[in-house]
Amino acid sequence: MDFWLSYLTLASIYVLLGLSTNLLVGIAGIFSVSQAAVFGVGAYIVAYFLMNDVMSFLPALAIAAVCCIALNILVTLPALRVSGDYFVVTSFGIQLLATAVFTNWTDGTGGANGLPGIPPPDLFGKALEDSSSETMLCVGGMVLGCLIFWLVMRAPFGRLLRAIREDELAVAAAGKSVLRAKVSAAALAGAFAGTAGGLYATFLSFIDPSSFDLDSSILLLTMVVVGGARTLAGSIIGPFLLLALPQILTLVDIPTTIAAAARQLIYGVLLIAFMLFRPQGLAGEKL
Amino acid sequence: MTPYLQATGVEVSFGGLKALNDCSFTIQQGRITCLVGPNGAGKTTIFNVITGFLRPGTGSVSFKGQALDGWKPQAIVAAGIARTFQNLRLFIDLTAVDNVLASLPGQVGEEPVAAIFRPFHVGSAQRRRREEARAILDRVGLSARANDFVRNLSYGEQKLLIIARVLATGAELLLLDEPASGLSAGALEGVMTLLRRLQDDGKTLLVVEHNTRVVQKIADDVLFLHQGHLMAQGSPETIVNDPALAEIYFGGAL
Amino acid sequence: MLALQLLCNGIVTGCALGIVAISFSFVYSTTKIFHVAHAGVYTMGGYIAWSMLEHGFPAPVAFLVAVAACTALGALIQTGLYARLEQRRATHLVVLIASLGALAVIQNILASVYSANILQFNLPWGSKVFTVVGDVRLTVTQLLTVVCSLAAYGAVMWFSHGTILGKQIRAVASNPFLAEITRLRPRRVHVYVMAIASALVCVPGVLVPLDFGLQPYNGITPLLTATIAMIAGGVGSITGAFVLAIVIAELQNMSLLFIPGEWSIGITFFIFVIFMLFRPTGLFAAAR
Repeated sequence: MDFWLSYLTLASIYVLLGLSTNLLVGIAGIFSVSQAAVFGVGAYIVAYFLMNDVMSFLPALAIAAVCCIALNILVTLPALRVSGDYFVVTSFGIQLLATAVFTNWTDGTGGANGLPGIPPPDLFGKALEDSSSETMLCVGGMVLGCLIFWLVMRAPFGRLLRAIREDELAVAAAGKSVLRAKVSAAALAGAFAGTAGGLYATFLSFIDPSSFDLDSSILLLTMVVVGGARTLAGSIIGPFLLLALPQILTLVDIPTTIAAAARQLIYGVLLIAFMLFRPQGLAGEKL
Repeated sequence: MTPYLQATGVEVSFGGLKALNDCSFTIQQGRITCLVGPNGAGKTTIFNVITGFLRPGTGSVSFKGQALDGWKPQAIVAAGIARTFQNLRLFIDLTAVDNVLASLPGQVGEEPVAAIFRPFHVGSAQRRRREEARAILDRVGLSARANDFVRNLSYGEQKLLIIARVLATGAELLLLDEPASGLSAGALEGVMTLLRRLQDDGKTLLVVEHNTRVVQKIADDVLFLHQGHLMAQGSPETIVNDPALAEIYFGGAL
Repeated sequence: MLALQLLCNGIVTGCALGIVAISFSFVYSTTKIFHVAHAGVYTMGGYIAWSMLEHGFPAPVAFLVAVAACTALGALIQTGLYARLEQRRATHLVVLIASLGALAVIQNILASVYSANILQFNLPWGSKVFTVVGDVRLTVTQLLTVVCSLAAYGAVMWFSHGTILGKQIRAVASNPFLAEITRLRPRRVHVYVMAIASALVCVPGVLVPLDFGLQPYNGITPLLTATIAMIAGGVGSITGAFVLAIVIAELQNMSLLFIPGEWSIGITFFIFVIFMLFRPTGLFAAAR
């Protein structure tokens, strides 16, 4: 497949994930290293429905989105209700648990070998066999996601979230429910991640646990941190830049055995550098 | 007749320290009641208890005969009681009009579903609410600064904005934490006139105030709090002229 | 008999985990930073020791060098990262993300240098087996783990209650503002705390891989389990963290009788959820 086409497709999917992570971490202010787990749940659900011919692509995607909304609410509720840093434990725990399920529940997920042969997506009874129409679908999904993010942030809901970020107590004194707003943001984040998962599974036609592990969650966090929190531009720039990184690394002569580690190392350095010197990212607002 | 706002035997302790100790009082509708007392007397704690930010150890608060025990802050605002904070707590990265809008109740598109599926409806509703917010700013005399960011407003303007914000909630009982402190003489006069006008519009005010001249000018009733307990209640003249209370308040310096 | 063997194994892992929990709790209760990068320090200790042994140094020297390296790394993270972020008034979320970044950096430097594959220690004496009772056997490494962990636990108890620095640290932990105005210099105390905690975590960091081998990404699960032990034991309680680490390790090991080992993270997490539901302040919360 043409390199640029596949880069564009993958970047579109990761923009949806960037929006998702931005809603949760940047906007609701909840530290999360389990977004890849939610992403994975969406991917496996869509893969299951399509491979077993239970239903067509769009309803499967809708079910995945609904499941991920529920999952994300479940994951974030402890962060909002329980005091202290216990939600950090919850987040790591969910991610490790999800990886354990993806790897060990062989009947459902194919285990470490993954699920090969996921059928291509179909729209209204027509299968999108060729890669360019799949790219169109993913780009369409990204545009829709960006539109939704923009609509939400310009509505009173967006203003409420900005106010919450400044002063939760003042928001409560103004008669608004901080909890409900944050849960809504988390739910929306779940819908984005689930949709991204479904697109990812059908685009690659193969999924395995390595796409949805802790390292992937760290990558998503890095995308938001580099792009910038709380803005549409940040959520788009981050994924496009960081997905280009592996290609740039192939220009440098790095042994393939440590390529993955080198990539993750760069993510770590970026996280530290941006937190120290530019917490607002390239095009965002201060975290 | 049921009292408008009634606190009964409220007790709050932090660690071993009692911030409120068997504190009871009532407030009458349509009046301006000033809450006075030395620092640490528990005035802000009372606000926190009434508005649901703090659960009292014992005792309860009722509003128009309805007990507010265990209510969340937003439910209490919806019931008609709203408060300000001594340190303002404005949203400084938002504009003045957005600060007011953030307090207007019942906005369309304040949750994602309507924001996504009915964008045009949300847009037109927002234009109407923005007019409403401007009218409120006009009421406190800030309409000229509607689109300025809060951090660019003067301290006096910020103090007016905080009143606009509490008005926007639509509450009928307003708890104002030191609305007049730190103001110049001119601004002080403006705030006092504004409070009187709010009263004429049918609001009930409970005001924490240190300045005895302000108290004498605006208060209908005065509650004197000392060590978390209601020491005295009466007209401003009787309270301000009580030598025993002056002794507590000023430590005999007067 | 299997149950008894698992019980013994549980005590061994529990003791090691207990030291991870104590060291993490030490940092958390003093600096209030959820120091995720601690998992990286833990992992690095084992790799340093492995390198020294490969270069032919005797085991005690290898161990001491590893401890020294971890101590330095801990102090570096505090001065180079956390202190700077604090100066910039970074929010809690920013510090957490930076800590996660530090973890990623440490792990992946290790993975780049030593590869991501599992490394085994080559210490013949370590796998020598003792029979405890009946069929229950423990290796020298396991016995060493228990002894060293208990010694470390005792040392921490003595340090925090019997020395001036220990008392100062507890003062900073309980009230940083008061400590500042009484000129205890919390900043410097924080560096000491990170250094000491990093030295401590190096003990299980070296001893556990003697049996199970080294992998660069293996620090997260023990850290997660240890933080759960800390929370369940009551934040701030050294004994609470240590005891609960043993309890959790026992539950994990005994669950092997019924549930395959790959689900043990599920067991750990389940314990956490139960605690969150019924006793979020922890068992030993009052026993500060």
